Amino acid sequence: MVLTFIDKTGASVLSALDTAGDFATLAGRTFAAIFKRPFDGKNLLNQFQAVGVHSLPVVILTSVAVSMVFAVQLAFGFRQFQAEGLASQVEGLAIVRELGPVITGLMLSGRIGSAMAAELGTMQVTEQIDALECLATDPIHYLFVPRFLAAIVVVPLLTVVSIYVGFWGGYMILVGVEGQSAYVYGHEFYKLLAFRDLRIALYKAFVFGMIISLVGCWRGYRTQGGAEGVGNAPTSSVVTSSLWILISDFFLTKLLLV
Amino acid sequence: MALIDVVNLSKAFGPKVVLSNVNLQVQEGESLVVLGGSGTGKTVLLRNIMGLLTPDSGHVAIEGKIIAQLSRKELFKVRQSIGMCFQMAALFDSMTVFENVAFGLRRHLEITEDEVQARVEECLSLVGMKGTDKLKPAELSGGMKRRVGFARAIALKPKILLFDEPTTGLDPVMTDVIGRVILDLKHELGVTTITITHDLKSAFEIADRIALLFRGECIACEPPAAFKVNPHPVIQQFLRGDADGPFLQDPPPPKRRTQEAHP
Repeated sequence: MVLTFIDKTGASVLSALDTAGDFATLAGRTFAAIFKRPFDGKNLLNQFQAVGVHSLPVVILTSVAVSMVFAVQLAFGFRQFQAEGLASQVEGLAIVRELGPVITGLMLSGRIGSAMAAELGTMQVTEQIDALECLATDPIHYLFVPRFLAAIVVVPLLTVVSIYVGFWGGYMILVGVEGQSAYVYGHEFYKLLAFRDLRIALYKAFVFGMIISLVGCWRGYRTQGGAEGVGNAPTSSVVTSSLWILISDFFLTKLLLV
Repeated sequence: MALIDVVNLSKAFGPKVVLSNVNLQVQEGESLVVLGGSGTGKTVLLRNIMGLLTPDSGHVAIEGKIIAQLSRKELFKVRQSIGMCFQMAALFDSMTVFENVAFGLRRHLEITEDEVQARVEECLSLVGMKGTDKLKPAELSGGMKRRVGFARAIALKPKILLFDEPTTGLDPVMTDVIGRVILDLKHELGVTTITITHDLKSAFEIADRIALLFRGECIACEPPAAFKVNPHPVIQQFLRGDADGPFLQDPPPPKRRTQEAHP
């Protein structure tokens, strides 16, 4: 029984290392392929549209919703200590440092990461990726690179949008419902913040963009087993990238706040 | 020197041996047809030739270059001289027919858009698909998709064309159409072809030589006339299309007697 346990544990460790190695190899090949020719501008623009423009509504809606809920909780909490004035300061701190990048990252892992996994997965099982290889085209260069570049540019931009929208979400609750002064809210929102906080948010969004695109493309590229495999690829992509967004958020926060 | 040289090629997936010491040589301009039952490694053979799979032992050489030993850059150079026609066409479904056929031209040749247009039209008319350039693959029938796949494969004027079961799943008329298109391509372009098919009629029309894969081994590779009279029981059973014989590993259930019609 002990041997079986050791055997199984060893097999799991080897399998995990194998998976990590495979991801690292494909990520490395993506970085290496960024500057290779030919440059496909049309493909890149299509990805900017798919990743960026089409994701705008979902980012706006979730950012408004989360910032409003957060403002309600803060107003209620600080009211217990007669410190309502602090609500807008903490709202600003939370939205810029955490909620903006993390909510954008999580929503985009669901929207664009899953779409990348499903698209590449379908291409894999219908031999379209083999067809690319046969047409002397590197699938990493043609499929991964434009998605990767679009994600690392678009996720930070959408994070800025999320922060901006989050400001107005908090405004609606704290000024509109709780009756704080609009001038005070506008002033207090930025009181605890420095430019460094926005920079940290953008660094985080950049890393989240890398995670979302690389995990989405990797899961799609490694799809096996027909319709079932194509069905599993987006699910697995969303779970994996969400997990890594949250884990990397912790380490980035610890690292960048020092 | 043979244009395509398959030497002692073996490939297994886990415990399942798919190809075992296969040897085939295809000369320039020759047309080889590979026959064999389902799961006997025909597609695996083509994938090894294209470098999509790496052999466990043995090798494939194209014009003397061993595919498995080439760098990615060298492999892509060799692949530009090979056109691969997939079983289910494998067209890029987000692109139109025109964009599919133009794909290789735009990526590998520094030619103007007018020249691309002219070459795409030429390729589409060679396979009888003129006027379909604005359609998406989803709007095409199975036979049309395969012909567009042929057009995409010949766009870069390859020296070698590989056809992976081009007629599987098509009605007999469309099967004949595809057979004729392959024959036309062979005569008009003078390319070297390897065709995997189950369709004996077109196989005998297309082939300069016919090979039969049986349980991962190549048991015959000879001109059609010699192949037809080869006494090997597996070949004769395959040509008869009979379930009884050594071809199947699991013997089929005995044939039921058909009910006599009512008087």
